[in-house]
Amino acid sequence: MTGNEQTLPRAAGNAFYRISTMTVCALVIGLSVSLAAIAFVEAVAWMNNALLISPRMRVQFDGSQWLITAATILVPAVGGLLVGVLLMKLSPEKRPLGPADVLRGVQTALPLPSGRAGLLSTLAAVTSLGFGASVGQYGPLVYLGAMMGNVLDRLNLRIPNFAAIAMSCGVAAAISTAFNAPIAGMVFAHEVVLRHYSIQAFAPTTVAAATGYVVANVIFERDALFLVQFAGVQHGYEFVLFGLLGLLAAGVAIGFMRLTLRCADIAMRSSINPVLRPACAGLAVGITALWLPDVMGVGQEALRFATIEGAFQTWELGLLVIAKIGLTALCIGFGFAGGVFSPALLIGILFGALCWMLVDATGLVATSGIVAYAICGMMAVTSAVIGAPLTTILIVFELTRNYDLTIAAMVAVVFSNLVSYRVYGRSLFDVQLARKGVDLSRGRDGARLSAKLVSELVVEDFARCTLDEPAGKVARRGSSAPRSEVFVLDQNAHLAGVFDPRDGAGDPAAPVSSVMEPVTLVFDETTTLSDAMRQLEGFVGDVIPLVDAKSNRFAGAVTEAAIIKAYLRATHDLRREENATA
Amino acid sequence: MPLHRIFIAVILLCIVPVCSRADETVTVVSWGGVYEAAQRRAIYDPFTRATGIKVKAITYSGGVAALEARADAEGWDVVDMIEDQAISACDAGLLARVDVHQIADADQSIAALDDFLPGSFRACSVAQNVYSTVFAFDDRAFLGEKPTNVADFFDLERFPGNRALQRSPDVILEWALMAEGVPISQVYDLLSTDRGLRLAFRKLESLKGSIIWWQDVGTPAEMLSDRRAVMASGYNGRFFSAKQTTNAPITIVWDGQVTGYEVWAISHASRHQDMAQKFLRFATAPQQMAALAELIPYGPARRSALSRVGLHWKTGVPMRDHLPTAPQHSNRALYGDSLWYARTKELRMKRFEAWLSGY
Repeated sequence: MTGNEQTLPRAAGNAFYRISTMTVCALVIGLSVSLAAIAFVEAVAWMNNALLISPRMRVQFDGSQWLITAATILVPAVGGLLVGVLLMKLSPEKRPLGPADVLRGVQTALPLPSGRAGLLSTLAAVTSLGFGASVGQYGPLVYLGAMMGNVLDRLNLRIPNFAAIAMSCGVAAAISTAFNAPIAGMVFAHEVVLRHYSIQAFAPTTVAAATGYVVANVIFERDALFLVQFAGVQHGYEFVLFGLLGLLAAGVAIGFMRLTLRCADIAMRSSINPVLRPACAGLAVGITALWLPDVMGVGQEALRFATIEGAFQTWELGLLVIAKIGLTALCIGFGFAGGVFSPALLIGILFGALCWMLVDATGLVATSGIVAYAICGMMAVTSAVIGAPLTTILIVFELTRNYDLTIAAMVAVVFSNLVSYRVYGRSLFDVQLARKGVDLSRGRDGARLSAKLVSELVVEDFARCTLDEPAGKVARRGSSAPRSEVFVLDQNAHLAGVFDPRDGAGDPAAPVSSVMEPVTLVFDETTTLSDAMRQLEGFVGDVIPLVDAKSNRFAGAVTEAAIIKAYLRATHDLRREENATA
Repeated sequence: MPLHRIFIAVILLCIVPVCSRADETVTVVSWGGVYEAAQRRAIYDPFTRATGIKVKAITYSGGVAALEARADAEGWDVVDMIEDQAISACDAGLLARVDVHQIADADQSIAALDDFLPGSFRACSVAQNVYSTVFAFDDRAFLGEKPTNVADFFDLERFPGNRALQRSPDVILEWALMAEGVPISQVYDLLSTDRGLRLAFRKLESLKGSIIWWQDVGTPAEMLSDRRAVMASGYNGRFFSAKQTTNAPITIVWDGQVTGYEVWAISHASRHQDMAQKFLRFATAPQQMAALAELIPYGPARRSALSRVGLHWKTGVPMRDHLPTAPQHSNRALYGDSLWYARTKELRMKRFEAWLSGY
């Protein structure tokens, strides 16, 4: 490793400096993100109360039914309108930001969208949730955490991989605070965001997650999010049922993810003004909520009812699962700002409860009660959607503090993930990114190489000539230039061929067009390092010309050596990041 | 100030005491029984000694309807109320407004507002003590396993026998959900939904045939003593007093206790607003609050009073251990949301009556 360290900046070579600075940064990030997360959650709760979204407020106005009806229909629609204005009129990105953007930033080392876009997205998320849209709060919180972590990157502390680690710290603190689950927060940052394990990142994310936990638990004394009583799995064969439930849950998760992306496509193609799209989804939520009030907002109450036997009829559960999937897909597809995590939890727990009721109704097997199946369903669906089996298993453990339940959920989660990974993809975020050209399925190297463009390696000191110049003259020009290849251009500056004087000129008076070689490989400004490496297989030669993709004009050339050097450099950086100790 | 105004002021100053001396009685309405006896000893008598104003005590069983029907005719001045009923009564215009400045500061130069527990001051009322609705059981009924939590209250199999319950939707629906495994922090949220109410009544239904209803707050302890019931809901102070004074074989179960503020309010119909305010100021002073808590274990609403609470005046029991706010009792306590109670009363009552008619 000595060789590597010599290539780093001088200050960064000091391990003590790096460790202490990173720890302080993790503390600062953990503290500020968890305060922000609490403020976020409180703001949403306050708005839910003020706008008559929360059942606890609605019931207090039970006497004035017209008020409740009006609020139910209008509040989500008005919220949609506000979100539409915030995102479409004021935000430079014109869309809400979420975990996929964090993932892209960390995996490809590209900068996050602007701070203004991030703040507006967060504001839009608070509005969406506060006005009762059927979306989740953890996605926006993850982005908020990463954005706040990323702010410290501006200090230019000369620590390698600082931006990625700082963003992970923010994510870990956000999850740790919001779920009151520090271990899950730390694991989530590794499993979903960083996607590798190194001590250099592990230590700060743990510090940030623990700080979030301290703020939430010790300072604000917030309750654990989801305590349930469960006596234990009573029959060994039930683990087979948990596994089966996992397989079915994968189907539900895939349906949910497909529908979410489909809704986004439909919204894109529709003629509805983008500013008004969220309002349409809000109206749909409001009208549905007149009959099914459980679909509004995060649905804490329904989440709890699903663990109580007899709270729902079988048909109610079926209807709610379908309604929640449909409305969440609609809300997210039509531009509300919010995540898929909480809806996935709700869909999953209702689905798990439904499965238990069906099994119980057959009367064929004795079971340990609804709780285990509800929790298994909840975690199986969620893990498939967010692509984080380990995190979800730990969340069960930390939220319920129940070991038996965790083991049961583990079985369901694993089978669900296995199927959804094979059939659909690692997570909704991965598929969203792949649709934008960032393919993480080929590993971290693939993503990092896909983010680097060969146009950054272009050298322009190549000789060039026109089609009718005599070959002898061109050859002399080529041999005096730093590189021998001469690119032959036509009158429109389009590339016609390449001429290498070392191949022998033949008749020096003949026009160069008669002796030039055709071009076998051309790059343009969109070619990534990953594409280039693939195309270089079977290519014979030293330089590859680069043309402008639109005008097709010659823009320079890249040497094969430069590409290989860049490739080695990128993979070397990744290896160093993954093995970094401090 | 012009001379004639000073003259008028002097005359008024002479007249007012004469007028008040002519009618020196303030009417205070409370709940009777051991609670009122404790109030007389801790508040009424010292008040008379300090001011010369006599206290006429009237007993009622709570409720906004009683205030509406009787206050004017019987000349009620100050009323001891449950906070949510005071909120409803205030909204209905039956109570006079109460200002925080009318309340005396504590000795230690702490402003009254900081001294009281959070949320003690409402438009028409000021908190005086923290009471709690708990359930207690007859020690003689369960010689083996004893009930320890709310779920046991609904478990007729392990703990057979009659349950004495207040004929009201308060508290019992909350307990029903707790017995279903709902965490305390979510009880009100779930009880606010139609589904939650249905679940609660379903749980209540499981006690069918074993419920006897009580209406007067003194009766639950008696029902346990004379074996009419094996478990009973009731106010913690009443159970405590029954045990202390009559040596009744009663054990209180604190799990799932629902706490609330007992408040002082002034009737809007009161013809002695000044005296009523004087009484309010006296009754909410830390000394009186602490003295009351030494007679009956309701937690004082002021922090400065809590630190003064000592031993029971007669039996020498350390009273702080028996307050609803004692740390060993507050682990699984539901802090009553008075506003929620006040605003949902009608709905819950309607559902409760509907359920009763089918009971």
